[in-house]
Parts: sequence; structure tokens; C-alpha cells
Amino acid sequence: MVPQRAGQKRKVVEVAQVEAEEDNGQLEIGALNGEFEGDGEGEDVVSEDDSDEGVDEYDEEDDEEGVEDDDELASDEIPSSEEGEEDVRQQLQDLKTSNGHSEPAQSLMGSDTAKAVAAIASDTPVKPFDDDDAADMPNYTITTDANGNPRYIYGEIDPVYDSDDSDAAIPGNTIGNIPLSYYDAYPHIGYDINGRRIARPAKGEALDSLLDSIDIPEGWTGLTDPATGKPLELTAEQLETLKKLTRNETPGDGYDPYPDMVEWFTGKGKEEVMPLSGAPEPKRRFVPSMHEHKRVMKMVKAIREGRIKPYRAPTEEDREREDAEQDFATYDVWATEQSRPDHVMNIPAPKLPPPGYEESYHPPPEYLPDDVERQTWEEQDEEDRDRDFLPRDHAALRKVPGYEQFVKEKFERCLDLYLAPRVRRSKLNIDPESLLPKLPDPAELKPFPTTCTTICRGHEGKVRSISIDPSGKWIGSGGDDGTVRIWDILTGRQLWKIKLSKEEAVNVVSWRPGPVDTCILVACCGETIYFLLPQNDLCTPETEAKSRDLLDAGYGYAATAPPPSKTSTGATKPSLSSWTRPPTPLQDRGCLLTLTLHTTPKTLAWHRRGDYFSTVSPSTTTVSTAIAIHTLSKHQTQHPRLRLRGLAQTTCFHPLKPLFFVATKTKVRIYDLQAQRLEKELLPGAKWISSISLHPQGSNLLVASYDKRLLWHDLELGATPYKVIRHHSKAVRAVAFHMGGLPLLADGSDDGTLHVLHGKVVGDLMVNAAVVPLRVLRGHAVVGSLGVLGVEWHGREAWRLEDVVVCGVAA
Amino acid sequence: MGKIKKKGTSGNAKNYITRSQAVRKLQIPLPDFRRLCIFKGIYPREPRSKKRASKSSTPSTTFYYTKDIQYLLHETLLEKFRDQKALAKKISKALGRNEVSDAARLERNLTPRIRLDHIIKERYPTFVDALRDMDDALSMLFLFANLPSTENVPPKAVAKCQRLTLEFEHYLIRTHSLRKSFLSIKGIYYQATIQGQDVLWLVPYRFVQRAGADIDFRIMATFVEFYTTLLSFVNFRLYTSIGLVYPPKLDAKSEKSGAELSAFQLENQGNAGLAEVAEALDTEMHFKAQAEADRLLSLPEAEAGTAETGDVQEEALNDENELTAVNEPASTTLDQFTSLDPNADTLLQPSLTADVYTASQLFESFTVFLSRETPRHPLEFILRAFGCKRVGWDTSLGEPGAYCSEDDTRITHQIVDRPDIPLPSPPLTDGGLDTDDEDGPAVARKTNERIPGRIYVQPHVNAGQLQRADLYAPGATLPPHLSPWVKPKKGGYDPTVPLAEQETAAEAEADSEEDELEADEALEEASDGEEIEGVRGDGEARELEDELIVDDGMDVELAASEDDEEDGVEETVAGADVEDWGGFSGDEADHVDESTREARAHQAELEAEALGHMPQSGKNDAKKQAREAAQSKRTKAEREALEDVERRKLMMPRRKRKMFEKMVYSNAKKDEEAERLRAKKRKIEKQGGKQKA
Repeated sequence: MVPQRAGQKRKVVEVAQVEAEEDNGQLEIGALNGEFEGDGEGEDVVSEDDSDEGVDEYDEEDDEEGVEDDDELASDEIPSSEEGEEDVRQQLQDLKTSNGHSEPAQSLMGSDTAKAVAAIASDTPVKPFDDDDAADMPNYTITTDANGNPRYIYGEIDPVYDSDDSDAAIPGNTIGNIPLSYYDAYPHIGYDINGRRIARPAKGEALDSLLDSIDIPEGWTGLTDPATGKPLELTAEQLETLKKLTRNETPGDGYDPYPDMVEWFTGKGKEEVMPLSGAPEPKRRFVPSMHEHKRVMKMVKAIREGRIKPYRAPTEEDREREDAEQDFATYDVWATEQSRPDHVMNIPAPKLPPPGYEESYHPPPEYLPDDVERQTWEEQDEEDRDRDFLPRDHAALRKVPGYEQFVKEKFERCLDLYLAPRVRRSKLNIDPESLLPKLPDPAELKPFPTTCTTICRGHEGKVRSISIDPSGKWIGSGGDDGTVRIWDILTGRQLWKIKLSKEEAVNVVSWRPGPVDTCILVACCGETIYFLLPQNDLCTPETEAKSRDLLDAGYGYAATAPPPSKTSTGATKPSLSSWTRPPTPLQDRGCLLTLTLHTTPKTLAWHRRGDYFSTVSPSTTTVSTAIAIHTLSKHQTQHPRLRLRGLAQTTCFHPLKPLFFVATKTKVRIYDLQAQRLEKELLPGAKWISSISLHPQGSNLLVASYDKRLLWHDLELGATPYKVIRHHSKAVRAVAFHMGGLPLLADGSDDGTLHVLHGKVVGDLMVNAAVVPLRVLRGHAVVGSLGVLGVEWHGREAWRLEDVVVCGVAA
Repeated sequence: MGKIKKKGTSGNAKNYITRSQAVRKLQIPLPDFRRLCIFKGIYPREPRSKKRASKSSTPSTTFYYTKDIQYLLHETLLEKFRDQKALAKKISKALGRNEVSDAARLERNLTPRIRLDHIIKERYPTFVDALRDMDDALSMLFLFANLPSTENVPPKAVAKCQRLTLEFEHYLIRTHSLRKSFLSIKGIYYQATIQGQDVLWLVPYRFVQRAGADIDFRIMATFVEFYTTLLSFVNFRLYTSIGLVYPPKLDAKSEKSGAELSAFQLENQGNAGLAEVAEALDTEMHFKAQAEADRLLSLPEAEAGTAETGDVQEEALNDENELTAVNEPASTTLDQFTSLDPNADTLLQPSLTADVYTASQLFESFTVFLSRETPRHPLEFILRAFGCKRVGWDTSLGEPGAYCSEDDTRITHQIVDRPDIPLPSPPLTDGGLDTDDEDGPAVARKTNERIPGRIYVQPHVNAGQLQRADLYAPGATLPPHLSPWVKPKKGGYDPTVPLAEQETAAEAEADSEEDELEADEALEEASDGEEIEGVRGDGEARELEDELIVDDGMDVELAASEDDEEDGVEETVAGADVEDWGGFSGDEADHVDESTREARAHQAELEAEALGHMPQSGKNDAKKQAREAAQSKRTKAEREALEDVERRKLMMPRRKRKMFEKMVYSNAKKDEEAERLRAKKRKIEKQGGKQKA
């Protein structure tokens, strides 16, 4: 029964399907055809395409799985099976009568629904349909064949197309959606709906095809119509539509891209009343879920055990209880306390200091402020007060008023606690004395100068330079008044005086060093250097004679000297210096020789042996001739070419080696005079060097600077200073080592003080020099921000004499 | 060569972030950040290099330690804050729609409850840590307990503070761990020792506190919120440690009627359910009941012979002596303690138990009645903390809890704070008209009546121990009240030591000198008011002296500087040529002997005369010279020492030298302060002497 029914059903449906296939042929082209021929019936075209697919699907499935499967599948989709038969029939009628419409509906419903519909068609409705069909017109005639058996001869099949689809009328190939190439080996290209072969269209001759290719006929596409095997020809209109379609444009004028939905099943009166499946409801629909049951039981258990508490809206009492719990501790937080090691970054807030006596309500009377203190306290700004209250006295406790600032104070404390940055500061609670370095007792380092023994008064204005004679009896001094004076070192009495200039100051005064048998004082005043022989019976006739000889020796040399060098043009170079004999009156007063430079020498340094001396004229105009080295015995002046970078300040000779020290503003350069090269350059780091002093052993150099510093250079160590001493509050003007063998040094500054230091230089290279301050000598008046201008040590004794700035007129 | 370090990846730049950065990182508004910082105890730091720590060019002011902020990132409170914010939005939305009941419901059900327990545990890992931080907490809570409730300070918070502080006081009373107290102009300071930790706090007097507009109560409320949690945990721990139930029962009725301390009923642990309320152990509760029972029995209690012993005291120094003091209440033994050795405090370290014992014994045998005008609560607290078990007070100070009424015969001491009024019965020390008593003779009699057999004392808490009561009798001038925390320092001023013992030689000399001058002046001019000038002149002289030591150290000038007239002379002389070289005379001083100095002095005098000034009176020349000699000797030694220091200072590195100078400066400041106080004291003493004369 079943196969038969299936067969019937198939037959019926097949008819429709074949027709549809005939209509469409290959998918796209069919669609196109429909479009082209439909002319604005786009919806139909689309629906037909869909129906094709749906039916195809159905076919395949039906073939493979059978009807039963379909039933199974469809059973879910059917809402109920109690629909009336009539409705079903009505539907089938619809299906039959308007196939073109019903098919798209299937597709609309989705493939399953389509199958269901197909299944329904296969089941119940087929019979009435068949019956009706048979009743109307039998499609076959029965004859007898040769064997006498009945033979069914089928008539022409009339595909019942209710649609007005013009396409459907054309008998088509029924081979379905297979390539036409399968039929290449056959004379036909398929079968028509009656099962007759469709003959392959005759192909034209090669010449025809050539001609065809030369003049392309109207509507030629180069394609073959798969349905007919003939070349596919398209009209201009069709091409236009095609073009539009490829461009995603509206294909034609009447095309509506958004058609109204056609309610095939859901509209009024079209509700689906019939169950799609007749399968009975499964049991599980009527039995409670086991898994749900398990889940619920779990909850029940939890509730019973009290793990889940049913929600109860909290009452006011509950809330109050909760509040109370929050208010008062109900357990010990520190039940399991474990101390934590302190972290460096954890800084606990400092505690407030406990109150002192002055905070008492009845303090001792000495803690009460007097009127002045009270006034100052009240006038002070609140932040500047060292105490935020004034001590007050109340005779009895009942008289103590409330403290007005209490809340404010606590508030400030709160702010401090969370806003004030905290820093750990180690508070040194030690005696400040312990910070002071241990220094040897100055009594052990004696002798050193401590007191002022002599004051020599007489100069008008500043005294610029002093010098102690090699024998140690006299002091020579020169000052702003243009005089050079010689004083007795012990009494301070003026022994001799010579006025060298009326306008210009005596910048330098210096005794010629060397053996005691001569007595020559050199003074620089203006551009001239005077060689003086003190009169007033200061020196014995022998020394005087010897000194005269020494000064005169050069004249002879000058006479025999080679003529002055000439320039390339032949003109004699102007001599930069001239050694001359001064006029007789000056000679009578003790000046035996003058040396005139074209610049103003400011410093003068003697070589140890007393034959050479150097002068420095720190002027910017004559940098090359700033430094001059003079030879006294030859009356000769040389300007060494030192290539200094900077203004020369002062010079000195090494006591033992042929080294020459030149200080510029910031550097000290050491030249080897013999090898004529730069030996070393020292960088004291000072901004402006004022003076330098070389240790008698020649290994240590002191540099004084105007930027308040005294720098100790160990020449063996390096270019930077070994020690920087910053004791003065103003510029250091002069510095001097003691030349007589005592480990002393002294520096004078504009702040009017002289510092005497102990500076021991040890021959051992491994031991550094030790510097100990010994004494600060005060007493120099500071006039016009000038204090001590020069420092000179006595040759043998530990007395120290200092330049004195005098402003008043001495009696 | 190492890898080049990228800037800002280590050191100060990484360790510190500014406040705005921190707020951005935590994604909370600034007020929440503030609260969080207060709760968590996070405070700004001072980076060593501010420039390196701040990434921006504008100078930032507040820096936080980055790890602190990181540690804030996973704080559960943050979640609560966010909930709060969300809730606020919901409520405002509901209110905007006029759904008031919805808003109320939301507020009721969704308000997050902020608990700070975990923070307490974090901040104070051990109980001792918490005790160390109690100072601020207690001061703050005692303040809030005394504040009137306003819109900023909800009554609930005030009540909570009151309750917690009273509970804490109960613990102190129970364990007798209060050690010191001090009545200052700000309030009353208390110090207790709990588990070896000293806790010092300040309780304001009961007056209405003035809160200015510049006080942000939100910040204080945040602190109070934290501190209440802390104190409740501390109280819990303290109570349980002595076997009491926490929280103690609060009798709401008696609390309302102002019972304060006695509103609480402490219960022993274990038998908390029983009605037995630890009466045997603790007499602090049920005072009223006990008093009533006593009254009923009306047993004439034998008055202890402690009638002679004195006033409110704390901090026993020597436990043995204290014991004798209590056991043998003879006034002679007690007299020994009136003068205290200031060093005893530091030298003797009484053990904790001994302290507790003495503290619990101090007032044990007394029955004290507090007069109406005395501050009841602090006195009751102090008395009980030091062992007094029977404290009664006037009913106007709060009915419940008082041990007895005023006319009870068992009262040994009555604390009164009113001026003494002439009454026929008691012997009078100071007569005086009383303005307080205006109610007529009957009331006056009632209020000022002396009931024989008890001692009337003024409320005056002084450091030390039991004092003689007669010093503190009503109407007597009280001795100064001294802070028990000030330790006498060397060179500092100590008011308990006679002036002669602590003044320096220089001061003593100046003093005597001044005396003489004063005497002279008195002879010559007989004028008052010269003392102040004299003192200041003395200071000037000393200053001048210092200057001279530094500069020239010229003795002649020093001698001359004693008088203003002579100053003028000095100036005029300074104009002369010779004075330029005065500097060296300092050096000469080594050699110059007495005679030369005399000669110089004479010379100066002559010069002064020549300039038209009056010569110095030659009356006390001999004395003066002797003094000068001593002075010159001293100044010479001082000068030498100073020179040595200067010399050594020269060899110091600059930084060290600065530190040294700072220290010297601060020391000098302290000395100056002490000197100032001594000078004042001297003046006062002299005035007193004059008045007597």
C-alpha cells in the first residue's frame, strides 16, 4: 500500500515538478527567462526559483529516506492533528489550482514546511485528488499489445498550469539540472514531457557559422540555450535588464523591490489548522523532567539544612540590631595578632608633645607673659607665633573658662594627620662640641704670630706693598702717596723716605734677595721701576759700594750689547724698555737706576739669586709684553712668548729648578725656562686668582683668589687643588708661605682678617700635607671694602708683618 | 657599558605620584579619596627630590608613595564607595520622577554598610600598635562626646562617643591604670599606662565649644568614624582581658538623668546571665543602692584617722613611702613629700604592679563629697581611678550614682571651690566678701556650713602625691600647678628648684651687680620701675660683652658699657684715631695686667670728663674693680674657648659647619628662654621681698 501511494504521490508531484523544470531549465537563466518574459512579474520569477529548490530537495529526500522519515520529521511542526479534513482539502485545492503560488509559499515556510506539505500530499490528500483526476479524464487508453496483454497508451500530458506564465507553455527539456554535455554522444539532447526525445538541432555549415560570426545578428550572446541547445539570443530589452541587474539597479520600470507580503498561511482564514504530523505526542511531554526534579531536590535539601535562607524583608528591629552590632565590637580583632616588621617607608604620625608648665591653669608666675610679651604675641601673625596660646593664671578651677580654640586645634591636628607630608628626620641630640674636629693644640705648633708688636704709621692713603729686607732689620713699604719708606722693624720708626711720583702710586716694593752684602730696594711706580739705595747711613760704605757696582755693571754690558734688532723694513724696532740713569737729584736721593716699561707693572718677583726678576703688567692692550723677565746684571729685558690664554696676574720663580710660574685669571701655568716649554697647567677652579705663593721646597703652591678661596696645590698630585680652604667672608688678596723654614702660611683678605695656618709639608710622598688653622688676626680697618692688601713673612723669625691700610694722617 | 636607563623609571620618579595622579588612578572623586586616606592612614610624603618626582613642569605640592596608592587599588571600601555613588544616582533619579517611596526604599535597602574592621586589623596588626595610636583617637572622641549635636554632628555619633569614652574610663577605673593628670587652660590632660604603653589625651572643659566657619566637620566626622571603630575594638579587648563582658549594660534611665559613669553595669564573663553584677569586685556600680543601704543601716562609720591627709594626687613616686603615707596617716610623714626631687622621676622606675598598687591605694580610705560648683565628672573619674570608692555629690550634679548626701557623717573630705566666707564656726584664714552667696543667711549657712570631722579642700590636682590638706583649704592661695611631664633639663629653668641653685655664675654676678646698682639708684634717686630697665640693661651689657669677645674683647670698653652715659663716651672715643687700633688691645689683654687696665679706665674717665660728661661716681670703685677682675678672668677664659671653637670650625666641611651652627643656635635659644624665666623669677622674688619689707 505504501509504495503504491508513494508512487502515486510521486507521479502527481512529479508532474508539477517537471513542468516547473521545464519552465526554468538552468537556474539563473530560467530566472532570467522568467524575468524577460514575465515583464514585471518579478515576484513570480523569484518564487518559482525558490519552488524549484524546495521541490528538488523534497525529491532527493523522498528518494533516499522514504515517507516515514518525512512523517517523523514533520511531526514536530504540526501544531495539532485535529484540524478538519476540509481544511486540508482546501489547502490541497489551493496547491493544485495555483501551483505557481503555492510553491513559493512552501519556500516561504522554510524547507521543512515544504517537506511537510509534500508529505501531506503523499498521504491523505492524494486519493481524492487522484479520484477526481480519474473521474475527470483518464489519461490513457488501454489497448492490447502483441501478446494480448493490456497496454496502456498514455495521451499527451497536459501540465496543468494555472498560471499565466507564458514560459510554461513551451515544451521543454526534462533532463533536469545536468550539463548538456552528457548528451554529446547522442543524437538527442533530452526528453520532452511526454518522454519523447528532443532532437539535437541541426548545426549550420562552417561557412554559415563563419558568416554568423562576421555579422553578429541581433541579440547574439555567444551562449547556448541549455534547454534547446540553440544559440541563446537576447533582445536589447533583455540585455538592458541584465545590465541593470549586474549593476544592482532596478531591472525595469514596473519592478517593485519591496512587494507586499503575501500571507499564504497566516492571513485571515488561512491559519494552519491541520497537524503536519500524525505522530502521537511522545511520553516525555507528559512526564516531569528528571533533571529538574534533581535540581529542585538539591534546593530543598539546602533549605532544609539551612544553607539557603528564604528571603525575609528586614524589619526595623533587624536594622536596629545590625546598627548596634556595627556600633560595638562583638569580637576581638586582635585574636590572632601577628606583629609585622616595621617598614622603612612607614612613618607613624608624631605624637603631640605633652603640655608644659606654661599651659597650666595656675602656672608659676614667671611663666605669665608681661605686657611687652603679650603685645608682641598679639601683634604677631597667627602662623608666626611660637605658641598658640598665652599663658593665663586662674586663681581657682572654677574660674577657668573654656578654651576657644579647642575644636580648631583638633581640626588642625586632623589635617596634619592626613595632609601633612611626613619625613623621617634624625634628630641629633648630641653636644654640638662633638661635631667639631679634633685639632692639635695650637700651643704645640708654636711659634706662630699672635700679637701685633709694631705699627708703622706715616703713609697717606693705602699702603700697597711691603717688603722685608734680607737682613731682617727693615721694612720697605710703598703706597698710594707715591713714596717709598723704610721702617725699623722693631720700633716702627721711619728711617728713610723717598717720593718717587706725585700722581702715581707705588705698586710694588721689593728688596733684592741674595747675600746680605748688597742693599737694593726695587720699587715700581707707574711705568718705571726704580732701583733704590737707602740713604741716611742705613748701609755701610762697603755694601753701598757693592750695590752701586752691581747696578752699574749693566751699563757696560749695554754698551757692548748688539745693536737693536731691526724689522724687515730696516727701521729699528722701538725698544720696549729702557734702562737709564736717573737725573742727578734723584741719584743724590738714592735712586741709582731706572727701568722704564711701556706698561704699568703691578707685580714683581725676584729669582732666588737676585739677578733676574720678572714683572707683570696685566693690561689688556699689551698682552704679549705683559710678562717681562729682566736681567739686572745685563740691563736686559726679555718678553718670553708664553702664549697665555688669559690675562696674566702674577708670576714666581721656582726656588730650585728653572721653572717659571705664571698665573692667569683662572689658571696657573708652569714653564720650563731651560727647555722653553710648558711643563704643567694647574686648574685651581678659581674665578680670579689674586696671588700665588710657592713653598720653599717648591712642591706645593698656594693660590689665593678673589672668590674668597684659598687653594692648596700639591704639584705632584695633579691639576686640581688638593685642598680648598674657605675661611674668609671676602676676597683673599694675598697669601704667603713662610720662607724661613717654619711650616706656616698666612693669607689676608678684604674682610680685614689675617689667617695664620699651620701647613706642614712632609717629604714623604705618601703623607699628605696637613693644614691646621692657628690664629685669626684681626684689627685691620676695612676702608672702601679693602682690607689686607699684602702679606709678608719675616725671613727668619716667626713674626709676621702685614700691610696696613691707613687712611688718616699720621702725626 | 651598561644599558642606558630610561628617565622616570626608577627612583623618586617612580616611587612617588602626585595626588591628582593618585585620584585618577583610583578612579574616585577627591572627597572619597580623602576618606579613604583617612581610613587607611595614608599620608603624603616628602620626596627627597621634588623635581625628580614630579613629571610636570609646574611644581606639585602633594606626593604620595606609589605603593600606598597601589595598595589602595584593591580595597573593598572602594567598592562600597562606588555602590554609594550608584545609589545616589538611583535615588536622585527616583526623586526626579517624584517617586519618593521608591527613593526611601532604595535608601533603606541599598545603602552600603561600611565596616572598618579589616582596616583596624591592617593598620594595627597587634593590640599594642593600636594602643600606641590612641592619643589622637581619645582626644578626638572626648571632644565629640562633649560637643552639642548639630547638623554636622549627628546626635547618634555624639552618643556613641560618649558611651565609648565612658566605657574606656570604666576600664581605667577598674584597673587603676590612670597615672597622671594635669589641669591646663585647654582642658584636662590624662595619662594612662595600658600594657606598658603611655596614652595621653586631652578632655575639654564642659563648655560650649566654639567651632569657626573654617572647620570642616566632614573631615572630623571621618576621623571620628574610624576612631569609634578603633576604640570599640580596643574596649572589647580591654574588657575581655580583665574578664568583663563587653559591651557593658547601659542603664538608659540613669543615663538620661545624668549618671554618666555609674550608668554602666559591668558584668563578669561567664556568669553574665546571673543577676550578680560583680558587686563584690566593683563598687563603682550601684552606688545609689549602696548609699541607700548605708543610710538605712545608718551605721556610724568609724572615721579613719586620715583627716590630716590631703588632696587629690597622682603618680606616686616611691611606693614604699606611699604605703607608709597611707598606713600611718601622720602629718609629719606626709610632710616629707611636699618637696620633690626632680630627678627621682627619671631615676626610679617603679614597676607596673607597684604603680597599680599605689594608685589603687591612694584614696582608698577616703570618702569624698563633691560640692555643687566642682566639675563632677573629672573629679569622680580621677578619684575612682585612684582608689576612692565612696564619692558623693550634690544632687544638682546628677542624682544617680552619688554615694551619699552632703550631710553624711562618713565623709572625710569635701571638695569645694568657692571663696571662703566669714562664718562663725570655722577658723578663718582669709576674710573676704563673697559675691557668690546671695541667697540670704539661711542658704549661705547651708552652702558654706562646715561640718566638723571632714576636710574641705579645693580641687587642685598637683603632681606628686598626697599633700598637706591645709595648703589647699578653701580660700587659700594655691601653689602653682605644674605639668608632670616636664623633665628638668640641664641649663633649663625648673620652677621647683630655688633660683640660686640653677642660675649661672654670670647671671648671679649680674644679679648682685644689679642689686648694687639698684641700691645706688635707690639712694640717689629713690625711684621705682628701674628694675625692668636694669634687667634689660644687664642683657644689653651681656650682649655687648659677647660682641666684644668676638670682635675685640676689650675689657676697658666692657667695663665702660655698664652705663649708658659711658656708652656715649665710648662712641666719641671711637671716633678718634686711637680707637682704630683698639682691636689689638684684645691681644694685648694677655699681657696687660690689672694696673694698666686701671690706668686705662682712669684715662677713659678723664676723657669722658674732658668731653663734658659726669665722671662715674667713685663710691663703689673697689667693689667694682674686684668684680671687673672676676669678670675679666671669666671673659678671658670664655674668649679663649670661643677662639678655639672658631678655629676648629674653620676645618669643618661646610655642611657640617652649618649643622653645628644650627645646633648652637637652638641651644642658645633654649638657654635664652631659661635665662628669661630666671630673670622674671628673680624680679618676682625681689618684688615679693620688697613688699614684705
